[in-house]
Amino acid sequence: MRRGKGMKYVTDSRIPAREHRMQNIPKDYSEYPGKTEAFFPNYLLKEWLVGAVFLIGFLCLTVAHPAPLEREADPNDTGYVPLPDWFFLFLYQLLKYEYAAGDYVVLGTVVLPGLAFGALLLAPWLDKGPERRLSQRPIATAMMTLGVISTIYLTWESVEQHDWEADAEQAAMDDEDIREVDQSHEGYEIYQEQGCISCHGDNLEGNPGVQGPDLYDLAYDVEGVAEISVNGIGEMPGDMFDGTEEELQILSEYIVAGGGANEDEDVNGDDEEETEEDEENDEEDA
Amino acid sequence: MLQRIYDWIDDRVDVTPLWRDVADHEVPEHVNPGHHFSAFVYCFGGLTFFTVVIQILSGMFLTMYYVPDIVNAHASVEYLQSDVAYGMIVRGMHHWGASVVIVMVFLHTLRVFFTGSYKKPREINWVVGVLLFFIILGLGFTGYLLPWDMKAYFATQVGLEIAETVPVIGELLYTLLAGGEFIGAQTLTRFFAIHVFFLPGALLALVAVHFIMIRRQGISGPL
Amino acid sequence: MEKNHNVSRRQFLTYTLTGVGGFMAAGVVMPMVRFAVDPLLQADAADDMVDVAAVDELTEVPQAYDLEYEQDQGWHIEQVSETVWLFLEGDEVVALSSVCTHLGCTVNWGTDPDNPEQFFCPCHLGRFERDGNNVPGTPPTEPLHRYPLEVRDGRVFLGTNAQPQI
Repeated sequence: MRRGKGMKYVTDSRIPAREHRMQNIPKDYSEYPGKTEAFFPNYLLKEWLVGAVFLIGFLCLTVAHPAPLEREADPNDTGYVPLPDWFFLFLYQLLKYEYAAGDYVVLGTVVLPGLAFGALLLAPWLDKGPERRLSQRPIATAMMTLGVISTIYLTWESVEQHDWEADAEQAAMDDEDIREVDQSHEGYEIYQEQGCISCHGDNLEGNPGVQGPDLYDLAYDVEGVAEISVNGIGEMPGDMFDGTEEELQILSEYIVAGGGANEDEDVNGDDEEETEEDEENDEEDA
Repeated sequence: MLQRIYDWIDDRVDVTPLWRDVADHEVPEHVNPGHHFSAFVYCFGGLTFFTVVIQILSGMFLTMYYVPDIVNAHASVEYLQSDVAYGMIVRGMHHWGASVVIVMVFLHTLRVFFTGSYKKPREINWVVGVLLFFIILGLGFTGYLLPWDMKAYFATQVGLEIAETVPVIGELLYTLLAGGEFIGAQTLTRFFAIHVFFLPGALLALVAVHFIMIRRQGISGPL
Repeated sequence: MEKNHNVSRRQFLTYTLTGVGGFMAAGVVMPMVRFAVDPLLQADAADDMVDVAAVDELTEVPQAYDLEYEQDQGWHIEQVSETVWLFLEGDEVVALSSVCTHLGCTVNWGTDPDNPEQFFCPCHLGRFERDGNNVPGTPPTEPLHRYPLEVRDGRVFLGTNAQPQI
């Protein structure tokens, strides 16, 4: 190789003449010990066979499970219960614990993850010994195992605690289930004032995030709704309503009418009596 | 013909040593799954790289239809997913690929750790690898917002609020990432830029360093 | 002898490698390429006829009308408005595109003082006869395009894609 002095700059280049160059001949591996082999093509073929199997599995996954897409972001929908992507769940879960939240939130968001990831980054200096076998470096092995197990545990707990049914419901693409209710009605005002709205939604559509069902086509009559408003039912606590009897009557009538948005909008007259009877029967059955 | 084109180029640029070095380097028995089945654990790094390549390709193709704008982002994702042929597959590859990369990086990290391969002289490569892990988590976080659906918006809100709890610089960090006081139009373009240009740029640079160092130092010996 | 054996094994490995590599590349890239070339393979949208004018309004002299329709652009609907020259040729209605066939400027009727009975394109002084034929010796090489046309109940309906006359 010629460098520096004696170099001609106009037509010459640093590339050596052909006879001084590496020949395009594969290295002879017979001199290597054991089963050492060349990267190309011997080893690469094995790697690519693994890759091909992996790819088939991966493509099957993409075909079998389309990527989810929820409805468009609506910053005003405060009832939505968010969930981060699965690989951040461990952090999300960590912040649920008493000593990693509230006044100690810095512990959960900065100190603990910082220590864990910092230790990961600096592992070569924390574990300086020359031994490589697991059994010969028990502390490093224990720390890593602890880290892995706690990450997996936290992720698992988070998945366990999440209400996946509500998740699927609140994620639904279409808003078809929401009906336009009569928001200028006196009953709607009471509905707002009494706080029904926080669990049953702006349009009586319910709020899966807090397990509030929709209030369309209820199987109760006016009295039934009034009683539930006062005494609660199932998940719904009692004493939610603290207005007058009159207001209760208006509210109940409004809700039984589905806010004027029921499929069967004719709630007055003969129909009403019929449905009331039916609903009473339903209640008895239940 | 191909041989002559190769010779013509090689005559001028001397490319032979560049690729012969890679092609001929020795692969020892203990990492070869053809000899010991248990050596498949040494494949996780390669599979990570393969998935990253899939991510880069599918991401490039997705930007043909995607718009990083809060008015159109969701509509464009919905369009490319439901109306464009194979949109479901390409977006699926990018979506599931993101998860697969993280699983593979995780497994690769565990393999390197439990074989003690990060010890002298390979400390720098370990650090580069952990940085790559962080970059990939960052890509996962920023990519999550882009479809601008409910999950994207609220998960990002939670993420940024976590960032906000960092002492002293928390609020600055929030404003810097969100591009303002709240999550909105400016957050989306910011996350898009970070997801599509900044982090992939850093990723490619570090991957190059990672690979060059493996070639310089060779693979760690058998236990 | 041993050497020959080595070469053939090596070649075999290389061919297999190319095959497996090709399979992987195809598996990854094919869906993406199909995704990218989708616009080429999308069926043309049905050409809706748009109500533009009443036949009574039309005269022998070309008049400009707006052809307004919605264009489906993927996730976006564009409101398109094109200028169309409408006139009567005997009893028949003719609808000419206002796009000059030279380089796509907009032609006007009778704005060239020297040729008041022709369409004139101000960009490169291109001219067209009343029936849309390009005047030889001016830049355009092709007549103005015609819209598919239908007369229903005294109204003129136009298709949204102007077609070449030849």
